[in-house]
Amino acid sequence: LAAPPSPPGQDPHGWRVPVDCVRANELCAAEASCSSRYRTLRQCLAGRDRNTMLANKECQAALEVLQESPLYDCRCKRGMKKELQCLQIYWSIHLGLTEGEEFYEVSPYEPVTSRLSDIFRLASIFSGMDPAANSKSNHCLDAAKACNLNDNCKRLRSGYISTCSREISASEHCSRRKCHKALRQFFDRVPSEYTYRLLFCSCKDQACAERRRQTIVPSCSYEDKEKPNCLDLRSTCRTDHLCRSRLADFHTNCQASFQTLTSCPGDNYQACLGSYAGLIGFDMTPNYIDASTTSITISPWCSCKGSGNMEEECEKFLRDFTENPCLRNAIQAFGNGTDVNLSP
Amino acid sequence: SRRKRARARHKPCALKELEVSVSDLGLGYESDETVLFRYCSGTCEAAVRSYDLSLKSMRSKRRIKKEKVRARPCCRPLAYDDDVSFLDTYNRYYTVNELSAKECGCV
Repeated sequence: LAAPPSPPGQDPHGWRVPVDCVRANELCAAEASCSSRYRTLRQCLAGRDRNTMLANKECQAALEVLQESPLYDCRCKRGMKKELQCLQIYWSIHLGLTEGEEFYEVSPYEPVTSRLSDIFRLASIFSGMDPAANSKSNHCLDAAKACNLNDNCKRLRSGYISTCSREISASEHCSRRKCHKALRQFFDRVPSEYTYRLLFCSCKDQACAERRRQTIVPSCSYEDKEKPNCLDLRSTCRTDHLCRSRLADFHTNCQASFQTLTSCPGDNYQACLGSYAGLIGFDMTPNYIDASTTSITISPWCSCKGSGNMEEECEKFLRDFTENPCLRNAIQAFGNGTDVNLSP
Repeated sequence: SRRKRARARHKPCALKELEVSVSDLGLGYESDETVLFRYCSGTCEAAVRSYDLSLKSMRSKRRIKKEKVRARPCCRPLAYDDDVSFLDTYNRYYTVNELSAKECGCV
């Protein structure tokens, strides 16, 4: 007996199957009422804020109908084909749903459910690789070696290093735009067992910690002549669909929690490290602020100077990077090769 | 083991690889980073052409005396690998091109 055909976007039991937004958009386009409502909503949102949009009855009705469609809870995958298109579709609905500027936004990316603990196990094997030379070992140097011996990692690493250290002219010491693009390619296309080792290696001396800080070629990708205000930087980031999504993903996966042992949401270090790496190559690119071996401090290139009456909000935003126990624990756990053991 | 060595010496031209530190490359960079150095090694006996035989003959008949000529094909890279970048001991990045062979042949 063949099962009756189920409506698209739903499984035979009537549960909604998470569908990516590009697919959800196709499903909506195939349906006359959905596609006309979606077109209306996009016109409503174009260049207008939420309040003026909701003042319009037609716009309001379109939004309400679309909340019932597969477009409403669609998600995107990091590094998927048509990632930008997927995110544009996601925000076209969700910008209409949120009350203006929210501090934390929900990640448009699918949750990282598979705990790729293999990477941690790998890290622990590497960190104990040469017990004789343990006191002199430099894990960041070992990570560079592992990358150089892999053709794909070596090619894309050399790709961003040469782009980020290429001088343009006497006044412009590199092309930040091209450097960021090459960094994104490296972190999108090289397996995390290589990229995380370079980014989160544990260090016992300053030479190692300086190598770790240099991983993303900070003189081009990170530092700037002036440090902008963090809230201004956030606004700049939020005008770009990709940057906005990566920041929302970071907030979703690295937000310090008091309810878990590790301070990470769902005790998931992987998800936090992944969304941290996902910010590299955007305006909100984070990095180690110095070559200290004892305390790890991460920050984007911004400060809370000139925040006015938003000082508190600015400090709160910055603390999610600089004083975040979830992020710090995740980095340290990776460096030591110790993921949390969740088995009962 | 002498026979083994002899056989190894007569292996045809092919790509081989070595893990070396950047400092050992002898290019003047100081870095502890390890890179993969691929090189061409082997003999080219099977690739001797009429050109090589004739050149040898001209030389033995003293028709060619003063010029420097090579009457044997040589195992050399036909193509080079992509650029290699590394961080040196003074925390500066460098990129070296055409460091490593990608494909070998008798030319």
